[in-house]
Amino acid sequence: MQSLIAENNEKRKLLNKENKKIYEDMLMYVRLSYKKSEAETEEVLMELLDHLLILQHEGKDASELFGTDPKQYADEIVGELPQVITKKVIMLFFMGVFYFLGVATFVNGLVSSILSYGFGQLESNETYYIGTLSVNTLLSLGIAFLVVCGVIRYISWTCFKNVSKVFELLVTGIVFGTLPFCIFLALFYFMPSFGPSITIELYWLILIGICFYLLGNVFKRKA
Amino acid sequence: MAIRSQLLKGILEGCILAIISKETVYGYELAMKLQDQGLDVSEGSIYPILLRLQKEKLIQGEMRKSPSGPNRKYYTLTDAGEESLETFRKNWEYLKKPVDQLLDEEDV
Repeated sequence: MQSLIAENNEKRKLLNKENKKIYEDMLMYVRLSYKKSEAETEEVLMELLDHLLILQHEGKDASELFGTDPKQYADEIVGELPQVITKKVIMLFFMGVFYFLGVATFVNGLVSSILSYGFGQLESNETYYIGTLSVNTLLSLGIAFLVVCGVIRYISWTCFKNVSKVFELLVTGIVFGTLPFCIFLALFYFMPSFGPSITIELYWLILIGICFYLLGNVFKRKA
Repeated sequence: MAIRSQLLKGILEGCILAIISKETVYGYELAMKLQDQGLDVSEGSIYPILLRLQKEKLIQGEMRKSPSGPNRKYYTLTDAGEESLETFRKNWEYLKKPVDQLLDEEDV
């Protein structure tokens, strides 16, 4: 599978500018239909690329292949791709969850540790309330999930369109960056403390983060 | 429109099965063969059909090195595909005569 993707990356360089734009939109749009079998997806993308290269060589237009409405054609392709089994989707879901927790915990631990041990800015241990922690974690995961879905939707929407850079920067910056970040901050700031408490040394967070990440890897391998 | 395109799709599927039953082909080759027969379909329209035929296990695709170098996906008919082609052939025979007759009568 990786070799097919690598071959695609190489061959794509042979496309002229116009064909490259339309093909890469097609590629992005079809790959973002994440519930589809990856093997079939990459194979049909390669067939389309080979075909487009031949058309280009013969001096024919990409519309010979994709018709007058490339998005509709892409939808047709996606509609015929076989669905992957649910087990794989579930494994990928857990992979995402643990990668997110891993990176969040690791970065938190690393920054706090540097501030604390390096600059004496923070106490070297932190008290967590199990109730608060669980609610915040679940809510954060929910937000992260919404952001990921939103980003996928947004990118699919921009395929086959010319979106102005300013608009793109504003939308992505605010909707997918600033807004979720503010909600995260508000969650941790305003959530009242409840449930039993545990106090741990900050460097443990780094280790816990790595554990989550490794767990994410396990799910990735099972998918 | 919907009925018309459904009908065309079905016929195109049958023609694709017929070509693949004669020889193993890859996508571009198949499009050329359809055009050589005078079936003027958009070249891209074969790929959604190839995907559907694979899903229905009527044909089988396999990535192989082509004589000229790159990997290509070659299609062959499965047993179920042979049966489906036989059914298509029968249905076509069944339709062809009466429809031709009807249209000829109208001409007169």
